[in-house]
Amino acid sequence: MKIGVYFCNCGSNISGKVDSEQVRQALSLNDVEYFKTCELMCSDDGKSYLRDEIAAEKPDRIVIAACSPREHEKTFMRVLSGAGMNPYLMQMANIREQVAWVTSDVRQASLKAAALIKGAVKRVAFHKPLEMKSIEMSPDVMVIGAGPAGLKAALTIAQTGRKVTLVEKRAVIGGQPVLYEDVFPNLECAPCMLEPMLDEILHGEYAKNIEILTLSEVVELYGFYGNFIAKIKKSPRYADMNQCIGCGECIGVCPVDVKNEFNNGLDNRKAISLSFAGALPNVPFIDMAACLRARGGDCRLCDEACPLGEGIILYDDAEEMVERRMGAVIVAVGASLYDAGLIPKLGLGRLPDVYTSFEFERLLSSTGPTGGQLLTRSGRTPGSIAIIHCVGSLDANHKEYCSGICCQYAFKFNLMVGHKLPDTQIHHLHKELVYPGKEEYFLYKRAKENPNAVFTAYKDIDTLRITAAEDGIMIVNSSIKADMVVLCPAVVPSKDSGKLNETLGTTVDMFGFFEELHGRLDPVMAKVRGIYIAGACQSPMSIQQAMTQGMATAGYALSGIVGGKRLEIEPITASVDADRCSGCGVCALVCPYKAIGFDEQNRKSSVNEVLCEGCGSCVAACPAGAINGNHFTNDAILAEIEGVLSCLNQG
Amino acid sequence: MASKPKLSMYWASSCGGCEVSLVNINEKILDVAANFDFYFCPCLLDTKKEDVEALDDGGIAITFFNGAIRTEENEEMAHLLRKKSKLLIAFGSCAYEGCIPALSNLHTKAAHFKSIYIDNPTVDNLLGIVPKHETQVPEGKLTLPAFYERVRTLSQVTDVDYSMPGCPPEPARVWNVIEAVIQGKTLPPKGGILGAGNSSVCRECGRKKEDKHITRLYRTYEIIPDTEACLLDQGLICMGIATADGCGALCPKVNMPCSGCYGPPAGVFDQGAKMVAALGAILDIGEKKGISEDELIRRIDMLVDSIPDYSGTFYKYSLAGSILGGGRA
Ligand SMILES: Cc1cc2nc3c(=O)[nH]c(=O)nc-3n(C[C@H](O)[C@H](O)[C@H](O)COP(=O)(O)OP(=O)(O)OC[C@H]3O[C@@H](n4cnc5c(N)ncnc54)[C@H](O)[C@@H]3O)c2cc1C
Ligand code: SF4
Ligand code: SF4
Ligand code: SF4
Repeated sequence: MKIGVYFCNCGSNISGKVDSEQVRQALSLNDVEYFKTCELMCSDDGKSYLRDEIAAEKPDRIVIAACSPREHEKTFMRVLSGAGMNPYLMQMANIREQVAWVTSDVRQASLKAAALIKGAVKRVAFHKPLEMKSIEMSPDVMVIGAGPAGLKAALTIAQTGRKVTLVEKRAVIGGQPVLYEDVFPNLECAPCMLEPMLDEILHGEYAKNIEILTLSEVVELYGFYGNFIAKIKKSPRYADMNQCIGCGECIGVCPVDVKNEFNNGLDNRKAISLSFAGALPNVPFIDMAACLRARGGDCRLCDEACPLGEGIILYDDAEEMVERRMGAVIVAVGASLYDAGLIPKLGLGRLPDVYTSFEFERLLSSTGPTGGQLLTRSGRTPGSIAIIHCVGSLDANHKEYCSGICCQYAFKFNLMVGHKLPDTQIHHLHKELVYPGKEEYFLYKRAKENPNAVFTAYKDIDTLRITAAEDGIMIVNSSIKADMVVLCPAVVPSKDSGKLNETLGTTVDMFGFFEELHGRLDPVMAKVRGIYIAGACQSPMSIQQAMTQGMATAGYALSGIVGGKRLEIEPITASVDADRCSGCGVCALVCPYKAIGFDEQNRKSSVNEVLCEGCGSCVAACPAGAINGNHFTNDAILAEIEGVLSCLNQG
Repeated sequence: MASKPKLSMYWASSCGGCEVSLVNINEKILDVAANFDFYFCPCLLDTKKEDVEALDDGGIAITFFNGAIRTEENEEMAHLLRKKSKLLIAFGSCAYEGCIPALSNLHTKAAHFKSIYIDNPTVDNLLGIVPKHETQVPEGKLTLPAFYERVRTLSQVTDVDYSMPGCPPEPARVWNVIEAVIQGKTLPPKGGILGAGNSSVCRECGRKKEDKHITRLYRTYEIIPDTEACLLDQGLICMGIATADGCGALCPKVNMPCSGCYGPPAGVFDQGAKMVAALGAILDIGEKKGISEDELIRRIDMLVDSIPDYSGTFYKYSLAGSILGGGRA
């Protein structure tokens, strides 16, 4: 085998410390056919020198002794390709960063360089020519969850002409914020802020690129980056999404009342309902569990009331399974609130005027159960409201993290109550107060300046006690009187995100939030390639952050998968020798990219080369020695070690 | 009769289980006798070393050499039998990879002699006499075969054609090999393994394998394991994942974890290191994010410290042949 070594002087960077003559003498001619030095291999001159050399010498393998492969491996691989040589038949020996720059004695440095080069020479003999592969991929994207994060992602992607399937569990889109009246930090009207975006999604220029599936859930996902297939369960809406004009005539005639979950059960809705005023899409849905027809009745009142005539209300509508193919998936299913009932002394569920922050949002909302009038359950105007921060947050017995947003919305509540009821007292009971960022402190300042507001710190939620006094008044900690108590519970993963996580094959962190590939470098990538995570399903966050993350996921999906482009597959991957695999399953445990699948029938593992990043973890872990890592084979690694050691022994 | 090829079996530093295993091929021993001239086997036959020396080089068709190389005599016989045999087979774990005798490589020869001949509670050795290679007595000089500092495998002292793993090799596998030779089947390339599969024991083990996340390790006396589920999944260190198949998963079948006697699977060159690497993937110390370094170390230590004897667990059979070779206490 003809192996040539090119020694780059790197100006004086390398040659100033490593004596190429000494290196040449240390390499035996049995191993190396020729040894040449060159001034600056990465310069244009250097690259054309290398190209001409390869053409003239026709080596089987080459070693380039120069800088770190992180710097120029790709550069030289391109030169090899250009010269018609397989780029994987080259090995770099890093004699700059690892030798010249860190060794002062010339003799020592030269010896070290010779050892590294000898290792590279021994190793490169085992290199095999490898080829890039490519497969087709779908440019479409599925977004799960139509809150701020999901909507931003969907709209951004649709604007580039790409198709998006937007899967929303509820009957309406907009996520949590469409249920708020105002949003922090500037107390903008939430529906007014979101409405233009929702309209854009439903009726705008790019609406044709977005398929909205409401009342829908992803029940299965298979395939991999570039080629996912999702099975989506669509529950029936019982109303024609395309023809209904949303006039609401059908609703008034419905004889059935049920608790309205959009108002946290604080009021009732009909069995056919529009969720809340202004809900989008503006098409009612029938809650079949409540409808008389489900209980054997033959009620047709809503159908008869429809001014468009028959065929708009669809009693025969049925559950449907639809399948969609996509290249990437964006998960944006939001979060929910910690069950404050787990801290019984706070009285949630026991005392009628103790509310969660969500419930309080609805009481403040003009589309809420009281039309925005702040009233206690018994209909009184509250003279005093206690807002308890950090309920279950910052607490080793509950959730040890700071939920980040609660202080902000508590200040928001302070100001909103101040506008509505200028004489009402507001007591903030908090463990900590946080207001990082360029706008947040000003909101705190305004809340603090409210002459009716009192801020009191508490140490431990278990020391708080809310008791009922007469006339519906409550006493907080035996001194504060309150007509209403608002709890700000920790933000926690939404109820079924665990199930979704299993369906998608992603991972969740110790708290149950969807887990990112890297907290700082790749905070919106899941560990499964091609699945991205945005918004409060990843961590508690504000609308602003959710929007930013939605945008970030769109960026990944758009740059990673481009219509018409094929997915290039790096050849440095692992592969399982099925003959040797015993099916122990150890490999799948260590793969950080979830690239290893298990064939239940043959009881053997296999590596998906699209997902494999060639990290080698499974190769090291497979106790049966059944996994081979391309380009990093045991033979090559051992030869390299032996090469290095043999040289050092001589020295 | 004289035209039958000669078969021999030698017993170096080992327990004798390998001979039992050969005899355990039961009535097939008659086929062996019909096809071979069973020429030399100090444990079963009367032929002597001189009889072997008298043969032409290569005069023995096959030698099953069991036992590790502990003494000068072991080594001398290894060289002699190498010279006289066409095929020299390292038979069983001791010859192949050192096995139990090689665990003694963790200590010096002097330390062994001290605990065996001097400190041993059942020995009264007031003069502190230990075996010596040469002893001068009034009648002259007496010699004993030298006791080496370290135990070596057969292939570490001479050229070996094949190795057969197992402590001892399973009779069925022994017969497979003999039969292959009788039928003139092509054997694998020289230096290869006979009588084992190319995967791991788990392949032959019918237990149900679930996700391996072990939060606590048990020693065998601490639990009565479920008989259907993978033992490793239950927290017993079953070496099956890192052990060549071929035994038929005998130990897991009777609810005992595999201790690794079939050596590393093909493609693995250090069984103990492989097992440790795999355990690194399997041992579950719980959520790592947001946990202090001290706490992580504490959790890792707790799991690792529950393994009673690292070398006896991971290198029970393979210490002499391993990359480590066995350190010195
Ligand atoms: C009381 C309260 C007040 C707040 N006030 C403010 C404020 O004033 N300003 C501010 O910036 N932030 C505020 N926030 C934070 C804000 O609500 C979040 O930042 C925002 O909702 C996050 O958006 P998202 O898209 O990630 O999730 P969400 O808004 O929760 O949207 C997620 C969507 O996914 C859907 N979904 C869930 N599971 C599935 C599933 N399995 N399949 C399909 N769809 C699913 C949900 O139905 C929902 O439509 C407040 C939070 C709380 C709790
Ligand atoms: S670790 Fe090795 S033997 Fe075990 S399942 Fe994976 S490839 Fe197969
Ligand atoms: S090499 Fe790394 S990324 Fe590839 S399958 Fe193995 S563990 Fe997964
Ligand atoms: S019990 Fe042992 S041999 Fe059987 S599957 Fe589990 S690890 Fe493998």
